[in-house]
Amino acid sequence: MREVLLLLSIVGPVVGGILAWIAPDKVRSTLVLLSALMTLVAGVWLSTLGSFTLTLPSTFAPLATGLEVAVILVVLGLAIKLRSWLVGLFSLLQLALAGWTLVHPHSDSTHLTLTKTAAAEGLIPALPGQLLGDVLALILVLIVSVIGSLIVIYAIGYMKNHEHHAPATAASTGRFFFFLVAFLGFMNGLALANDITWLSLFWEATTLCSFFLIGHDGTPEARKNAHRALVINAGGGAAMMLAGVAASWVGCGETLSDIIRQMPLLPLAFLCLAAFTKSAQMPFQSWLLGAMVAPTPVSALLHSSTMVKAGSYLILRLSPAFGPTKLAPIIAIAGAFTFAVTAAIAISQSNGKKVLAYSTIGNLGLIAACAALNTPLAYAAALMILCFHAISKALLFLCMGSIEQTIGSRQIEDMGGILHRMPITTTCMVIGMVSMMAPPFGMLFAKWMAVEAAVSSPIVLLLLVIGSALSVFFWAKWIGRVVTASYHEDYQVEKIAFSMISVPALIGVAVAVTGLVAMPMFRFVFKPMAIELFKGRAAVAQWNMLGAVDAFMVWPLLAFLVAVCVAVLLTLITFKKTQIRLPFLCGENTTDGDRTYQFTSLMDKPDYANVSSYYYTPIFGEETMGLWATPTAALILMTLFGVICI
Amino acid sequence: MTSYARLIVEILAVIIGAPILGAFLMGVDRKITARMQSRQGPPLLQPFYDLIKLFRKDAIAVNRIQIVYAYLHLAFMVLACVLFVLGQDSLMLLFVLAFSTLSLVMGGMCVRSPYSRIGSQREIIMMVAYEPILILMVVGYYLTNGSFTISDAFHSSKPLIQTLPLLFIAFVMVVAVKWQKSPFDLATSHHAHQEIVKGITIEYSGPYLGVIELAHCYEVALFFVWIGLFGATHWLLGAALAVAAFFMAIVMDNLMARLTTMWMFRFMWTIALGLAMTNILWLYVK
Repeated sequence: MREVLLLLSIVGPVVGGILAWIAPDKVRSTLVLLSALMTLVAGVWLSTLGSFTLTLPSTFAPLATGLEVAVILVVLGLAIKLRSWLVGLFSLLQLALAGWTLVHPHSDSTHLTLTKTAAAEGLIPALPGQLLGDVLALILVLIVSVIGSLIVIYAIGYMKNHEHHAPATAASTGRFFFFLVAFLGFMNGLALANDITWLSLFWEATTLCSFFLIGHDGTPEARKNAHRALVINAGGGAAMMLAGVAASWVGCGETLSDIIRQMPLLPLAFLCLAAFTKSAQMPFQSWLLGAMVAPTPVSALLHSSTMVKAGSYLILRLSPAFGPTKLAPIIAIAGAFTFAVTAAIAISQSNGKKVLAYSTIGNLGLIAACAALNTPLAYAAALMILCFHAISKALLFLCMGSIEQTIGSRQIEDMGGILHRMPITTTCMVIGMVSMMAPPFGMLFAKWMAVEAAVSSPIVLLLLVIGSALSVFFWAKWIGRVVTASYHEDYQVEKIAFSMISVPALIGVAVAVTGLVAMPMFRFVFKPMAIELFKGRAAVAQWNMLGAVDAFMVWPLLAFLVAVCVAVLLTLITFKKTQIRLPFLCGENTTDGDRTYQFTSLMDKPDYANVSSYYYTPIFGEETMGLWATPTAALILMTLFGVICI
Repeated sequence: MTSYARLIVEILAVIIGAPILGAFLMGVDRKITARMQSRQGPPLLQPFYDLIKLFRKDAIAVNRIQIVYAYLHLAFMVLACVLFVLGQDSLMLLFVLAFSTLSLVMGGMCVRSPYSRIGSQREIIMMVAYEPILILMVVGYYLTNGSFTISDAFHSSKPLIQTLPLLFIAFVMVVAVKWQKSPFDLATSHHAHQEIVKGITIEYSGPYLGVIELAHCYEVALFFVWIGLFGATHWLLGAALAVAAFFMAIVMDNLMARLTTMWMFRFMWTIALGLAMTNILWLYVK
């Protein structure tokens, strides 16, 4: 049964995507919907079956290498088409490394003995195969299958609308859905791959999906940004293959489990580098910001909730390996630095999608920092952010997509009063933003744990503290703009495609519910995972900290929330329209018709009262910050390799 | 069973006692301020009369969402006081407190009044300015006692002011912001000498303004007691610290004029944050 489910969740979406591409326009929506539902069911079912490891028959080894070479050749072809020497260089390097792996296959005997000793020591599951589905991997599979599929369903409605407005250069919708649906399969494969060859195959495949989806609209800007994404991610792919070669060079097996078991520094550093490119950590952040030109479902699926999570996932997976080494503090500082700097830059951004992008990069940095702090509490916090951020950000991007199509702008300042025009979407959006920073939602609990866990590393601590304070600023500004409501109350449900209302509403409810059960989820899912991983490794103080967090009483919080809900309901029921008054502007309000935001100004002339938000561009602007922050981040990353040499 | 009964009594005591303490302190503040300005000043119980009067006025609002935020502001402020008295995790307490302030900010932002919006944005900037200091103070608790909880900070062997003297100074600066004292009363002020048009709360009136004023009573009481926590080994020391800080804040309020937002931000992130970080570094070195 498990093999069938694996096939359905990895190969199934790819087949579904091909069908959606070649199918005529009429049946495409149905096909996409069916593939999404199939992925959803298969993924959920697979994760309910529990952890497993699967060793593929040896006949599959050439298949993996063959597929990988094929993918690299596609990248090489693209490099020639784009006349990009950098991409070409990276793909040639990858080709050479693949050839090297073919010539020097790692001997199975050493591989087996190594894993056997490791299994005997109880460090890793016995005899890990090419596919490994432990709880961590299954959580990622669950995120990809559930949230990913929902986003794909949303995209059906979105793309119908997008087709009418897209520039003439845009690629076909069929091609779009092929990459979007197939991506789900690649991502599931990436989550479950244990062998470096399989891992880099899926890694490269997601890079390709990202490239084609960013470039979908075909405008010069889209093409340029797609190119940049390809350059950076191809570099990451090359780093990953270097890790594989370095692993077999230092005589360790080529599966992640072996690398985790033996902790060779060089492969670990290369893998972390690959992870940093994928999750767009500074100094690689530019590709993710450029990727925001893609249609919004792409940003939701690839560039916030799943693909960029691959990097965080890899760091989390490797954290027991690099945790005790000298790489850990550097990765922690790099992640925390990204978190703090992106939160600052996000303040200066007025483009909603860019704010979301910066916040995504920041939260991925936070995951990396937590994973590298190497304490049970921090690890649990990282897992919580991985899950809750995926749900909340998917919701935010989807709402952003609907708003963008309705009001025709991505600017936050243009979003005043959308509560009246799009009440459902706006409510979902506010839920999403509140869930990023307020109690009782999971993100806040995770940040709380992260700060507590960081007390032993002052630099990380300071960066986390600054980052969390700054991120409150840009969220609050945005929420304030979105919920601004006038006194006349004429709510009309927005008229947009059904899938574009139902999916955000569904995810919105999911965010609210997971918010209420965030602490139970910590207790029953994330804490046991952290305990399992750190058994016998963590110090007493670190265990105490985990226990103290666990002992926190959540019920007063929930009781007060219930009290507020009751009070609000009572007020709203008894509050009558006659009790509503106009705001004070700067003089007497003019009250005829719609002109209520005007007041009688000098010489009895009506005048508008309007205030926009603070952005502090001279301090937090992209250029100002980038000037020093990107080189600093690059230096921090270089130290990663520096410490290996010492 | 008795422990549950005690818990409920404690919670009720906070819910009822904190606003009384807060309103009393505000009355004292007004009296002292008046005397410093050679005025007679209102009666000591004036804040109570004000509150009662507000709650008996007609309920009027600019929109309905505004009301929701007023309730959220009060509820989270009360929750923060409850968490404090129950001796819960202080970092979570800070987050709850921040969310309470944030609700007030949202309440100010959801109306189309320029005064209210400017006040709200100033309030956020103030929050960003002082939040790191509060978090560092909590870290200071951990480095001293090995625990983040208020109850362990309360039972620490040495008075916290002995290990966290610089953080205490920084904290008093933060409390001046929370008490809406000059030079930090940027979002709104208690005294007419600072502003002609109210800031963040301008569009609230009647019982809803009463809700916000009530929340402020809780806030004043919470921070008064929190200053006392620095001398928790002996109640006299704690009380002396709290009273001294309170008096200092009133003196400063009458000496200084309101300054600009960016000045406040720079001040907090250089001098106050610098003090806090120096103190934390001491503890690491030790």
